[in-house]
Amino acid sequence: MRYSDTLIDHFRNPRNSGMMRAPDGVGEGEYAQCMDLARFYLRVRDGRVEEARFQAYGCGPTLAACSAGTEVAAGTALEALAEIEDGRIEAALGGLPPERRHAAKVVALALRAAARDAMARRAVH
Amino acid sequence: MNRRVYLDHNASTPVHPEVLQAMLPYFSERFGNPSSVHGFGREARDGMETAREQIADFLKVSKDEIVFTSGGTESDNLGIKGLAAARGSGHIITSQIEHHAVLRTVQTLEEQGFTATYLPVDGDGMVNPDDVKKALRADTILVSLMGANSEVGTLQPIREIGRITREAAVPLHVDGVQTVGKVPIDMGAFGIDLLSFSGHKIYGPKGVAGLYIRKGTKMASIQHGGEHERRRRAGTENVAGIVGLGKAVEIRGRDMAVEGARLTALRDRLWEGVRAGVAEVRLNGHPTERLPGTCNVCFHDIESESIVLGLDLKGIGVSAGSACTSGNVEPSYVLEAKGLPLDWAMGSVRCSLGRGTTAEDIEYVIESVVPLVAKLKTLSPVAGAAPAVS
Repeated sequence: MRYSDTLIDHFRNPRNSGMMRAPDGVGEGEYAQCMDLARFYLRVRDGRVEEARFQAYGCGPTLAACSAGTEVAAGTALEALAEIEDGRIEAALGGLPPERRHAAKVVALALRAAARDAMARRAVH
Repeated sequence: MNRRVYLDHNASTPVHPEVLQAMLPYFSERFGNPSSVHGFGREARDGMETAREQIADFLKVSKDEIVFTSGGTESDNLGIKGLAAARGSGHIITSQIEHHAVLRTVQTLEEQGFTATYLPVDGDGMVNPDDVKKALRADTILVSLMGANSEVGTLQPIREIGRITREAAVPLHVDGVQTVGKVPIDMGAFGIDLLSFSGHKIYGPKGVAGLYIRKGTKMASIQHGGEHERRRRAGTENVAGIVGLGKAVEIRGRDMAVEGARLTALRDRLWEGVRAGVAEVRLNGHPTERLPGTCNVCFHDIESESIVLGLDLKGIGVSAGSACTSGNVEPSYVLEAKGLPLDWAMGSVRCSLGRGTTAEDIEYVIESVVPLVAKLKTLSPVAGAAPAVS
């Protein structure tokens, strides 16, 4: 399996990993077929993601995709993040082999869920 | 530049330099077709027959009982289908943890009207000989079991099973792809009627293997064509490969005992080192009745492919127990059959050592895997990772 240098770099040096205390939004994405699980925590300011952190269970590409996902999320408006597509994550990784595209899918799913959670909390407040 | 450590010898092995040397002339000056009657053909045939003798000597059987094939899968197919075709109908006993070359062959025969029993294994991956005895029926035509499991390395009690099949006069096929040349096999005492073996698992070339067929075992051809291999396997023989297989087997006869003891010590050191450095880890396979070079371990709450990638980046080649193919993960059916919970089975990694593995390699692997597992655990939401500063 050949992976991009960007993917390998994210796997070797994951950015923004770990939990976040008192986040403004939390979302999970699960990909049952391969049991991958991604969880994102968002800190939001003025409707945009100020900081994102992740935890993940899965193969190397999924862990790398989570790391890239936190960088994609940072600075993004919640409304835009709530609509983020798999391709955006895949591009941030410098591409994925076809048989590992689920990595982008599970991350996009989790980021959309986290954004929607943050929007819902904002609406309540 | 990272050190490079290959710990996937159960998948394939590098060709032994002596094997390569033996093979080379058969690609050039001794290129003839072994079926040809002229001198060129005779040279090729002589090389092939020398290989047959080397294998027969190693197994202590007659050279007429050795048939060359294109790989372990073909040997398994020929052994099982060839015997089944000669019988026409009946019941086959095998186990749940066989290689797909056996499992899918037996399943295919079921579709054709044969019946089958798939024996369970215990927590160490071992078949109980009593289960074989209980599964025997009046119409049982074959028992097919592996000598050792490629994933966890557990050696099956073939001697005891052979006693049972011989008493019942039922032929015994042993898939010996992982055992021939790694551990001693006593063909007579084990009561083996059919034995599959392969070249590239024992420092021979890929694409060549063999099947031992005990004299008197009724078999039918499953591949039709010329009169090759005494009409048991049609097709021009892979002469250079066969010469390499013969040489590889001969070398195993010379080196197997000493190397087996060395690999067992290294394998046990690897397990001890990993166990000392990682909190939630378990060994798969029998603690002692196991292939000398096989160490399969499970890490809890992390996924095996992430470990394989992390070790790959350190120059270490191991294999994942759970294979993720096209976004579908398949936990090892071998680990499932031996009752391992999924949250453990998903984190299984197989290290299989070989003749090139050194003590320094093993220390390097231990030094690499311990921090890698710790790092992956900190990422895992299911492992109770500590909160990051925010």
